Amino acid sequence: MLGKYIKRHIAGYIAGVLVLFGVDYLGLFIPQLTGELIEGLGGQNGLGAITFTRDDIIRSIISILAVGSGMALGRFGWRFFLFGSARKIEMEIRNDLFEHLTTLSDRYYSEHKTGDLMAYFTNDLNSLRSAIGPAIITAFDAVVMGAMVIAKMILYVDLKLTLIACIPMLVILGGAIWYAVKVEPMYKEINDTFSDMSDKVQESFSGIRVIKAFVREDAENRAFDVTNKNKMASVLKVAKANSVVWPTLEFLIGLCKLITVFLGGYMYYRQTITLAQFVAFNQYVSMLVWPMIAAGDSLNMISQGRAAVRRLNEIFGATAEITDTGKDSGITELSGGFALNNLSFAYPGTDMKVLDGVSVSVKPGETLAIMGRTGCGKTTVASLLLRLFETGDGQISFDGHDIKDIPLDVLRSSVALVPQDNFLFSDSVQANIAFGTRKFIEFPDEKLSMALINKSEDELNKYLDRQMNDRCAKNDELQNDLEAVEEAAKTAVVHDNIMGFPKGYSTVIGERGVTMSGGQKQRSSIARALMKNAPILILDDSLSAVDTDTEEKIIDNLNRVRQGKTTVIIAHRISTVRNADHIMILENGRVAEYGTHDELVALGGRYARLYEKQQLEKMIEEAV
Amino acid sequence: MRADRNEKKNTFGRLLGYAKPYSRELAIALFATLAVTGLELTVPIIFGDIVRKFNNMAPYSEVVKLGIEYGAVLILMLIFAMAQRWLLQHAGQQIVYNIRKELFAHIHKLSLSFFDNTPVGKLVTRVTNDTEALSELFSNIIVQFIRDVVKIAALVVIMLVLNPTLAVRAFILLPFIALLTYFFRKVARACYRLSRSRLTAINTYLSEHLSGMSVIRIFRKENEKNREFRAKSRELYNAYFREIMVFAVFRPLIYLTSVLALINIIWGGSGLVFENAADPLRGIDVGTLYIFIQYVSSFFEPIQELSEMIGTLQQAIASAEKVFTILDEETKIKDPEDPKVPTDGIRGRIEFDHVWFAYTGENWVLRDVSFVIEPGESVAFVGVTGAGKTTILSLVGRYYDVNRGRILIDGVDVRDMDKKVLRRAIGQVQQDVFLFTGTIAGNISLMNDEITDEEIYRAAKTANADSFIKGLEHGYEEAVMERGSTLSAGQRQLLSFARTLAYDPAILVMDEATANIDTETEQLITEALARLMKGRTTVMVAHRLSTIQHCDCIMVMHKGKIRESGTHAELLEQNGIYRKLYEIQLRSGHEPYDSGSDGQQ
Repeated sequence: MLGKYIKRHIAGYIAGVLVLFGVDYLGLFIPQLTGELIEGLGGQNGLGAITFTRDDIIRSIISILAVGSGMALGRFGWRFFLFGSARKIEMEIRNDLFEHLTTLSDRYYSEHKTGDLMAYFTNDLNSLRSAIGPAIITAFDAVVMGAMVIAKMILYVDLKLTLIACIPMLVILGGAIWYAVKVEPMYKEINDTFSDMSDKVQESFSGIRVIKAFVREDAENRAFDVTNKNKMASVLKVAKANSVVWPTLEFLIGLCKLITVFLGGYMYYRQTITLAQFVAFNQYVSMLVWPMIAAGDSLNMISQGRAAVRRLNEIFGATAEITDTGKDSGITELSGGFALNNLSFAYPGTDMKVLDGVSVSVKPGETLAIMGRTGCGKTTVASLLLRLFETGDGQISFDGHDIKDIPLDVLRSSVALVPQDNFLFSDSVQANIAFGTRKFIEFPDEKLSMALINKSEDELNKYLDRQMNDRCAKNDELQNDLEAVEEAAKTAVVHDNIMGFPKGYSTVIGERGVTMSGGQKQRSSIARALMKNAPILILDDSLSAVDTDTEEKIIDNLNRVRQGKTTVIIAHRISTVRNADHIMILENGRVAEYGTHDELVALGGRYARLYEKQQLEKMIEEAV
Repeated sequence: MRADRNEKKNTFGRLLGYAKPYSRELAIALFATLAVTGLELTVPIIFGDIVRKFNNMAPYSEVVKLGIEYGAVLILMLIFAMAQRWLLQHAGQQIVYNIRKELFAHIHKLSLSFFDNTPVGKLVTRVTNDTEALSELFSNIIVQFIRDVVKIAALVVIMLVLNPTLAVRAFILLPFIALLTYFFRKVARACYRLSRSRLTAINTYLSEHLSGMSVIRIFRKENEKNREFRAKSRELYNAYFREIMVFAVFRPLIYLTSVLALINIIWGGSGLVFENAADPLRGIDVGTLYIFIQYVSSFFEPIQELSEMIGTLQQAIASAEKVFTILDEETKIKDPEDPKVPTDGIRGRIEFDHVWFAYTGENWVLRDVSFVIEPGESVAFVGVTGAGKTTILSLVGRYYDVNRGRILIDGVDVRDMDKKVLRRAIGQVQQDVFLFTGTIAGNISLMNDEITDEEIYRAAKTANADSFIKGLEHGYEEAVMERGSTLSAGQRQLLSFARTLAYDPAILVMDEATANIDTETEQLITEALARLMKGRTTVMVAHRLSTIQHCDCIMVMHKGKIRESGTHAELLEQNGIYRKLYEIQLRSGHEPYDSGSDGQQ
């Protein structure tokens, strides 16, 4: 999966690695130059014979400056090429992942929690990006830079000195790998104990009423203490390792240098090496530390990256279950008539039939009402009419076509649903109501000035919020659908509420803006469905949060605007359904009663009892 | 402004107060840190000396001596560095542990009205994340700050002593380094903030759209949303790219500065070495130059750290302020200074004496409610949603204080009693049974060691919960999953009965569950309830009239007042509100006659 993305950016990677090689190569010269300078200024024989002239100094300064500038430039280069490509790939995978998720069906979402799906975007994508960015640099440095430094030490200074002085380096290398394998996982333990503690705190504060009622405060304190202590212990475990490892690392580097002093000194007096080589060698020893640590780091990042790729492959492997059949049925619109034909349904992965042999036939322009207790299968009917789940052949048909033969585009633009949870997006009221009819308008990326982002966090976030709101407003203006939105809102009797918001239809809902009451949300959601002006409208318990007067108005309005179009109403209140052409009472997935209001009242069954009960409730409400 | 400063100082002072018990550890750590710093600074001098010895062709034994000196420095550094790291982490973690403990215990003391108004998530953040930010302060920032200042000062002094001219030359770049680092940190932080804001935005977008995916599907807006997401994603990429560019420019710039510093020292130093060659009394020898070359890059680290620290320090202080705000929160329901107990112990007589109550302002939930329940009597409150029934239950256990009037238990005002004594005498059966992570047995005893296993089994048996518990794979030791969602509503109700029975209270306060319960379990519940009520004063809110017909007295509440009271038969005869509720109930089957929740929630 990763291959195709890397292939797309292969030029960036090649350029980055070449530059990285150049930087590492240039880096080898600085110690040599300083070493030669010291020797030139000291003289070999201790007789004060300085071999360097002013011109030599200038030459070596120019060399150091040239190497330094080259390295600086190169360090810019590899960051630009490698990190830039990694971020770009990250973005591409993020986009593809989201697109893939939009194709998956409700079943997938019922099996995967939002939080788990989010983890792919946050954790996995991040690990993956580390593996294709920083890990490449650390791996390269570990191998190539390490080899180059050692080669330089051997070629420029001395083989024997290199071999002996670098013995402690082997310990560092082993230590770095041990650290990556043994200590890094302990950080996971810290995360685990931290989340255990958070869970405990969360649970304890959520259950505060029980704790107070049974006077269990002390016991809770003790229980929290355990998690608190565990958290501390896990941190200290890592701290203990770190307080041994890092000073020891410093010590080992020192040891290399100490060997250099003893052995290098001896060799200097034997005139096997020069002062310049001695000084340079000390710096090479320091340069060798990073490749050793990088070896451990890259191991970790790569293994985490591989795990991330595995997980991402899994999600990319999930296939969309509900798709068009592929053959062109030539259906481009629906008239509004539909039929359920002995419809039985059990949710995927379960045996329990939620619907069992339900049949009804609705002609274009008619109203079907479905009633019944919670869990009787009402909502399932609504979901199935939109083909959110698959049904058996011929069980649902529109205008005589089986639901699976109708292109999804046609089906879902012809059926407007007001779902039970009135999910609204954090966008303007206008955009939310026009949700189903809008086309996306692309806004050019706005380049934020440095001066702006340099402001305080609060100011920046305020600015970003404002920018977002401005964009909503601009979008609303360009979409030019305010009139139609107002029309729909009036029909759903939410117009007056909206006008009461601080910025009317431009008010942003949700996290960044106004919170709506349940009833307002419900009616906005109705307006959203009405905007589609679809041949079939389904209201799934969509009037439960409005009072009886408003309900009456909405029903009247619906009768007016839905003239000649099909409406399915799922409801609890008799007042909502009494004028429907068909009323169906579901019980445990079966049709228990069926008829018109008058017929059902006359029948004297469940519907009739409900009718009496609701009459009485009205009396109490009005009585006192 | 002044007040603000004082407050900042106060926060910092309070934080230091937590460090006090560990002052010895911290002092040793500080000493160790300074020792490491000092030793670190001697290393370049040793190497300078070695170069000097080489240069003068001093005997090898002198080099060996310096080598041994260096070895000693290495060993001391190893010991001090280990001590410093360990002691700092240890003290820092202990301090944070203590703050967490205090904070958690404090929050538990706060009254329910505090919890009504504060989201749980916020409280969790205070106890977990905000305190975490403090550990950084104690483990790193404070000591690092001292170390860096000392290190810079020491470098300045040593260099001045070695050679003032070259030292001044070395300092020339200092302001530039400081400024560059400061500027870099500022820009990098700003960029980081931007990318974090963008990341938060995209995560918010994602969590919103992943939960709202079905709306997107039913409106067939997948393409539109994909394009919208791409635009957002692009913005995030741009923010990251800017971050990369900032690092790509500044990091090499800082490196280049260090190269310039090196060149500067070489140029000036070589001049002095030439001078020295001409006149040994002037200038410096090559050993000193080598020391300077090694020192000049040592300035970079502490200066960079210091400029980084400012941001972290601000964060830690901000977190500390949030933590202290909660610690300063006082509980509204205070224990009396001189608690009273009823003379004959708590027997269960409950009296409401002209009680008025509002959760906020003047929105009266109870208006002038008075009644008396004698020990052992059972009283049920009924009425439509929002009538104030559940509130009465909360007031008996003094979870809120009444606005006017008083509540007496066996003749003593609840405000004059110790809260714990009062609440221990009251058994609460809540409508939504809250189950804790742990086992079934643990959820009955609520981890009270005084309740023996025998008592747990007996309580479960009496509550009719025994049979279903034994049917679980691990019986009483079965783990409770996801707040008990694997148990049915009826089973949870029975568990809550068992829990109450295990505590054997004198008074039973109960909010009947509204959830659908199958007839068989319903039967078990009714039976268990009768046993539970036996010999106890019972105050119950009933959502099903069928459960309360055997109560001694039924009180009908409406809009905060008691409108009717009497036995089931008497009330039916009155032909008032109760009668209507009863008839609704008749037509509802097993479903409750009201929505089961009070206005307050």
